[in-house]
Amino acid sequence: MSDRASSPIDRHDDWLERALRDDALVHRAEYLPDDGFTARVMAKLPATLSLPSWRKPAVTALWAAAGIGIALALPGAYADVLREYLRIVAGHPVTLEQIATGVVMLGVASWTAMVWALRRN
Amino acid sequence: MASEVTDAALIARVVVHDDRHAFSELVRRHQSAVRATLRRLTAGNHALADDLAQDTFMLAYRNLKSFRQEARFPTWLYRIATNAFLADARKRKEELLGDRDANLVDDDDNEAPNPEAQGGDHARGAALKLDLERAMAILSDAERAAIVQCYHNDLSHEEAAYVLDCPVGTVKTHILRAKQKLKSRLAAWAPE
Repeated sequence: MSDRASSPIDRHDDWLERALRDDALVHRAEYLPDDGFTARVMAKLPATLSLPSWRKPAVTALWAAAGIGIALALPGAYADVLREYLRIVAGHPVTLEQIATGVVMLGVASWTAMVWALRRN
Repeated sequence: MASEVTDAALIARVVVHDDRHAFSELVRRHQSAVRATLRRLTAGNHALADDLAQDTFMLAYRNLKSFRQEARFPTWLYRIATNAFLADARKRKEELLGDRDANLVDDDDNEAPNPEAQGGDHARGAALKLDLERAMAILSDAERAAIVQCYHNDLSHEEAAYVLDCPVGTVKTHILRAKQKLKSRLAAWAPE
């Protein structure tokens, strides 16, 4: 090693200092062949937590089924409210500017959602 | 090429993507240094050294997320390896002390350093190296660890203090005491 581990006392122990340094040089020059060591370490690592490929479509189908189930289970009052809302919206005169604004807002919302999803991934 | 990828980049791949190939590359790069260090710490017990080296890399894998680059990666590995060695030594202390005492009696009786019996410079050098390795076994675990980190691994006192998890002053004391013991043990090698 360098002078880092030396102290004034070491000057009287040159032979020991030299022996330690020579031994250290041999140690640093020595390369131990792998001999399967890396493979043994890798075999002992915990298994990776991998999810099956069918998991995502299965979850999507489950959510869709749950959504349909909830919609069918809703009391008739909810369906009446929705039907009335659609009738009012359909009966209301819509201008070309309103349609354009709606399309632009829908586009902005879609792009925002897409960017957010990509960044999250 | 894999050899061009830095340790930091490999560590990032392991932490972010749990990239096993990147971790195996890290093990491959550092296995020699870690195993050689543990062989020194265990005074030449190769089987124990390799077991501890495996434990070292397992612990490194589990704790890689907490590695904050406060030291070089090999130094961090030396710290884990030294802790594994010291913990194991504490566990086996009684057994180790018994074995060591027995070995010391044998050494004193049969294998005391005898430089006069050696021939040329090369033979003397080899004999001194062998005696030095044997003498390392009489050091305490902490003293041997300090010598190995400061000399064999060429760490500064500050780095050795980080590896041994103790103050710098304690490292210096360990080295001083270790040298005194070695000097006493290898007195026959001292020049006239």
